[in-house]
Amino acid sequence: MTRWRWVLGVAGGLAAAYGGWLAVSRGHDHLDLAVWLAGGVLLHDGVLAGTVLVLGAVLLRVLPRAAKAPAAVGAVVLGSLTLLAVPVLGRFGARADNPTLLDRGYWAGWLVLAGLTVAGVVTASLLRSRRR
Amino acid sequence: MRPPAPEDFRSRLRSAAVTARVGLWLGICFGIAFVTGLISHYAQNVDHPVPFPTWPAWGYRVTQGLHVVTGTAAVPLLLVKLWTVYPLLFRRPERGVRRLLLDALERGSIAVLVASAVFQLATGVLNTAQWYPWDFSFRASHYALAWVAIGSLAVHVAVKLPIIRRALTSDIESTVDDRPTATEPSALSRRGLVRTALLASGVAALAVAGGTVPWLRRVSVLAVRSGEGPQGVPINKSAAAAHITDELVGPAYRLEVVYADRNVSLTREDLQAMEQRTQSLPIACVEGWSAGAEWRGVRVRDLLDLVGAPRSRDVDVYSLQPSGPYRHTVLQGNFADDDRTLVALALHGEPLSRDHGEPARLIAPDRPGVLQTKWLARLEVPA
Repeated sequence: MTRWRWVLGVAGGLAAAYGGWLAVSRGHDHLDLAVWLAGGVLLHDGVLAGTVLVLGAVLLRVLPRAAKAPAAVGAVVLGSLTLLAVPVLGRFGARADNPTLLDRGYWAGWLVLAGLTVAGVVTASLLRSRRR
Repeated sequence: MRPPAPEDFRSRLRSAAVTARVGLWLGICFGIAFVTGLISHYAQNVDHPVPFPTWPAWGYRVTQGLHVVTGTAAVPLLLVKLWTVYPLLFRRPERGVRRLLLDALERGSIAVLVASAVFQLATGVLNTAQWYPWDFSFRASHYALAWVAIGSLAVHVAVKLPIIRRALTSDIESTVDDRPTATEPSALSRRGLVRTALLASGVAALAVAGGTVPWLRRVSVLAVRSGEGPQGVPINKSAAAAHITDELVGPAYRLEVVYADRNVSLTREDLQAMEQRTQSLPIACVEGWSAGAEWRGVRVRDLLDLVGAPRSRDVDVYSLQPSGPYRHTVLQGNFADDDRTLVALALHGEPLSRDHGEPARLIAPDRPGVLQTKWLARLEVPA
């Protein structure tokens, strides 16, 4: 196994170095690229992870026992879907000359998603509390 | 207040047993996105040392749809995976020069992995919604960082391989590789958390897949396209955005076909008078949406034969649009010779609308949408 580990590690290092060389040598706005690369890590590790920690602690404290697990499932699903939905909910890329782009009712869709999630969490919580 | 330490995180869900299982699925998503991304990048290159296949016509539709769907599905997986290893961010530096160096090296490789992975998913998701709040070139940097992400992922797997193997081959409740303080039971079980990550990932995939899978349209509430549009097909760049004026497509319109010193100049009527062929070919965009469509027009090969252009030669394709990176594209010889490649004049039985490339556009099988040039002005085979 050791030999394959080395092969994988060295090949990976070479691929990553090639990508780094591409990023530096091709015509980019390097400063902006660096800001986005570092910004993603900082936003995740600093803001998002911290928010999830606080929200998780609060939810676990206030929710009844039977609701904790369903709420955790619901929070992961709805939380990640909401993050994914930011570009379409804000319609930041919309263009007046192209009505076929971003042409769905995204808030309505998100509300359906949120409603289904909440309904699922409540149903699961009730079922669990009855089982006890 | 002191900074957090790994011991402060007590949930037994933050375990290598969970990380490895979620990571396996995440790795599969990244692998598919990487390979399909390479295919898309190659398809958009001008030079094809190995010809890009024209069969099957729906090939690019599937690979690029997969690219966007697996990238989207990776988002919840990455978030959950990072949650399970978050305490390790607060590890204290090792003692001793050699261990300190190794530790710094490993942390550095993980920083590169996380930065490139987050970058790829964030820029990819924004690109599908055509939101570009940056100054760098999306295609060039998404391609460069794809190599960084996949490479640093391989390094990461190589470094962690013993733990990964142990975690995946033993029970999910095993505590062999857990931190000593990660013992507190949670509301969710470990298996429950892995299933939750997969559920969120599946819902994310379904929420966007309708952009390319027609029968999922109704459930894909976050898809960037409903699939509707003029003549039943969405558009990517409008005539207004491409600065196509009435004069450009008016009575003075001509399609020039050129080979060496021979050229013909065709009016709309000339094109209509040639043999018309019908083809069902999808329009499949790099942003991941696609739509099947029925096109009618003149075979490109028939046009090239008018000027006696030899076979298997690349064709320079020019659009009427005055500027933009896709004003000039190259139609590789194997695409030009394919019987299904058309200069389309009609879509779904009606003349092309202005936004679909009136009066004439290129449509070829198995090609990225950006290369299906609209408002065709000139086809030229260099001598």
